[in-house]
Amino acid sequence: MEIRPILSAMMRNKTGAILVALQIAITLAVVTNAVFIIDQRLEKMARDPGVDSPNLIFIQSIGYRPDYNHRNTIAEDLELLRAEAGVVAASPVSGVPLSGGGSSTGYRAKPGTDEAGNIPGNYYEVDEHGVAAFGVKLVAGRNFTPEIIQKPDQPTSEMVPELIITRAMAKELFGTDDNAVGKPVYDSLGQNATVVGVIEGMLGAWPNWDKLPQVVFHPLVDRGPNMRYVVRAEPGQRDRLIPLLEKKLIDANDTRVITWVRPHDYFTARSYSDDRSMATLLGVLTVLLVTTTALGIVGLASYTVNARVKQIGTRRAMGARRVDILRYFMVENWLLTTAGLVIGCVLAFVVSYWLSTAFELPKLNPLYVLSGVALMWVIGQMAVFVPARRASAVPPAIATRTV
Amino acid sequence: MFAYHLRLGLKSLRRNPVLTALMIGAIGLGIGVCMTTLNVYKLISGNPIAHRNDVLFAVQLDSWDIQRAWNQDDPESLPLELTYRDAQQAVLQSDIPDRRVIMRKAAFVLASNDEKSEVKPEIVIGRLTLGDFFAMFDVPFEYGGAWDKEADSTSEPVVVLSKKSNDTLFGGENSVGRSVRLDDIEYKVVGVMADWQPVPLFYDLNNGSINEIEQVFAPFSRGELLEKSSAGNTNCWKPEEINSLTEFLNSECVWIQAWVELATPAKEQEYKTFLDAYVAEQKKLGRFARPLKTKLSNPDGWLVINEVVQNDNRVLLGISFMFLAVCLLNTVGLLLAKFSGAAAVISLRRALGASRMEIFRQHLMEVSIVGIVGGVLGLGLGYLGLLGARQLDEGYERLAQMEWTVGLMALGIALVSGVLAGLYPTWRITRLQPAPYLKTQ
Repeated sequence: MEIRPILSAMMRNKTGAILVALQIAITLAVVTNAVFIIDQRLEKMARDPGVDSPNLIFIQSIGYRPDYNHRNTIAEDLELLRAEAGVVAASPVSGVPLSGGGSSTGYRAKPGTDEAGNIPGNYYEVDEHGVAAFGVKLVAGRNFTPEIIQKPDQPTSEMVPELIITRAMAKELFGTDDNAVGKPVYDSLGQNATVVGVIEGMLGAWPNWDKLPQVVFHPLVDRGPNMRYVVRAEPGQRDRLIPLLEKKLIDANDTRVITWVRPHDYFTARSYSDDRSMATLLGVLTVLLVTTTALGIVGLASYTVNARVKQIGTRRAMGARRVDILRYFMVENWLLTTAGLVIGCVLAFVVSYWLSTAFELPKLNPLYVLSGVALMWVIGQMAVFVPARRASAVPPAIATRTV
Repeated sequence: MFAYHLRLGLKSLRRNPVLTALMIGAIGLGIGVCMTTLNVYKLISGNPIAHRNDVLFAVQLDSWDIQRAWNQDDPESLPLELTYRDAQQAVLQSDIPDRRVIMRKAAFVLASNDEKSEVKPEIVIGRLTLGDFFAMFDVPFEYGGAWDKEADSTSEPVVVLSKKSNDTLFGGENSVGRSVRLDDIEYKVVGVMADWQPVPLFYDLNNGSINEIEQVFAPFSRGELLEKSSAGNTNCWKPEEINSLTEFLNSECVWIQAWVELATPAKEQEYKTFLDAYVAEQKKLGRFARPLKTKLSNPDGWLVINEVVQNDNRVLLGISFMFLAVCLLNTVGLLLAKFSGAAAVISLRRALGASRMEIFRQHLMEVSIVGIVGGVLGLGLGYLGLLGARQLDEGYERLAQMEWTVGLMALGIALVSGVLAGLYPTWRITRLQPAPYLKTQ
């Protein structure tokens, strides 16, 4: 191959070559790290919430009139909700999964107050319809029974008598997710509750929590005047039901205010909004950066082609074919790109090191760098192709003319 | 001479429009991207109460669990809020601070007091605070003003409305002296705020930093208000029975935010000493099992403690500047190619008597034009970028408009980077030996 003359031509314009290589190096470093971060965010957002997210509706009610009766209102509301065609199940609920807000407390397999035995769990207070209303799958044991649902009218530290926990919570508490049913679980005051059921899995309230799958159901409907319901709709019925249920609840009782009648998607979208913004911004940056670099290559290559018209003509006159000229520029660009990519690989890991030490982001997966290298090769070759083809079209006769 | 150089520069740029467009585009894009992220960064990290930075202090006491620090990853961390007992004894009952607030958030049903009103009752977030809140945080009033000290202690049913809730309930009219209903109880309006939306919401960062302000403000200690469950954060560490409001108020749960105003460093010192003594006293009563730690943070420090600037913002800023670097390298490369293509012409001018300085100035002019036009383009792109960023996130909508300081900074960066990018190619061209180029002619 004609690599040696290409190299010696490049050496005559070192600065230009170095600049292109540096550009490619930084582009590779930024693009690989950016795409790596984007991928992680997308993965995070794509986690299975465990609950029947697309069909869930949450409704908030706050009583405020002196004649507001909390227990009656809840009973009537639930009857109304469950009677509506298209509703699969409905339950009172104390929080919204993946909404960024919720309650957690410590659970233990043995009584005590030591820090090591304390297993945090994100808990949801529901009635006997909670499992069906969230659309989670009971894999062992049984559901709550109506008699067991606690209805306190004072703030209370008393522990509920029964619990339903996720497999992940069982594993964390007992070291295994088998045979959790029937076992006692303690709180830090030494009170205990029995695990009556185990559900497959669901994600808790805080998207960035490392113990997100540790979820517990309490059989309890708290004192008011705030109350929230979770309603599970039949597939395709959710959007029809939202305004309908809101109106029916408002009309049924004016001693309270109904608000925040929203699909579950609304809450998850809100709590993932930071991740989505980051992914979008990085995505836009990546596209712009690759485009800028490609245009830079086009611009510079066009210029070299123009500057070398006479030489190209001479080479053609000496017998070089058009494809030889085309190849010359393609190879030249390939050499430059490769040099840049070698520096870029090192730089990519330097940037990754900076990100992981300063911002506690995970270390870059080398596969991303490899894909980045492949991408930059293709883009470099594509960018140089247009000016290279123009170069190959230079007629040999040009060599005989003065500039 | 200036006009001559300008003409030469423009002529040279026009000679190769594609290359010129690429250079201006590259600089513009780099600046635009940097400006967008800088703007977001600046708004998020800004301190909206900077003018009171040296007199306002958030109060923290380490009342947490002996077995673990507030933030388990940071043994030096303190709880972000106070217990009810400490808020009363260490903040409310001390007469050292010039002003003080203890406060929290709660949800209310806000309704018109007029039976015939068309305005539907609505759930709003309210702040339960003290009358000093408004003077301490420099809250502007449209009508009326803060409630007085008496209302704090006797806890009269008085309320300050945000501009938004006054617009909803009273159509923006002066409602001072009239009444609204909060949870079906009548409250007298004593003040209506003018438009006020600090970004970040420095005084309560527990639930995010770019939140809307509360819609109603009422005295902290009113009986029925004290019973309301919190709409903010409540954190407890101690295994203790809580079966009534009194037990909750006496518990080790933290749920109250506290700020003090201390006019002089001497007062700050005095209050810090008071807090230390208070904690030492409480230790004797068996509370505060962790090593004695109290902290007063000015708003700047408070924004840092609450990690208002997220790592994502910093990463984006870093990446934007790398992007700008690529754009500049791009421009340097293109300028180099362009100038070296003009070698023959320059040699001719040199041979005809133009000095190196002349050539240098002429090309510097050309480079500056690229920098300025690129900067202006970048300003436009940055504005578009900000509009785009605002679409991304509910909270970002509150990132009002472009900061003119950032705009100026961008123009500065454009000019400096444009000239820096052009300096090397320009210098190279002046080192050119004219003879060989003249020969080939």
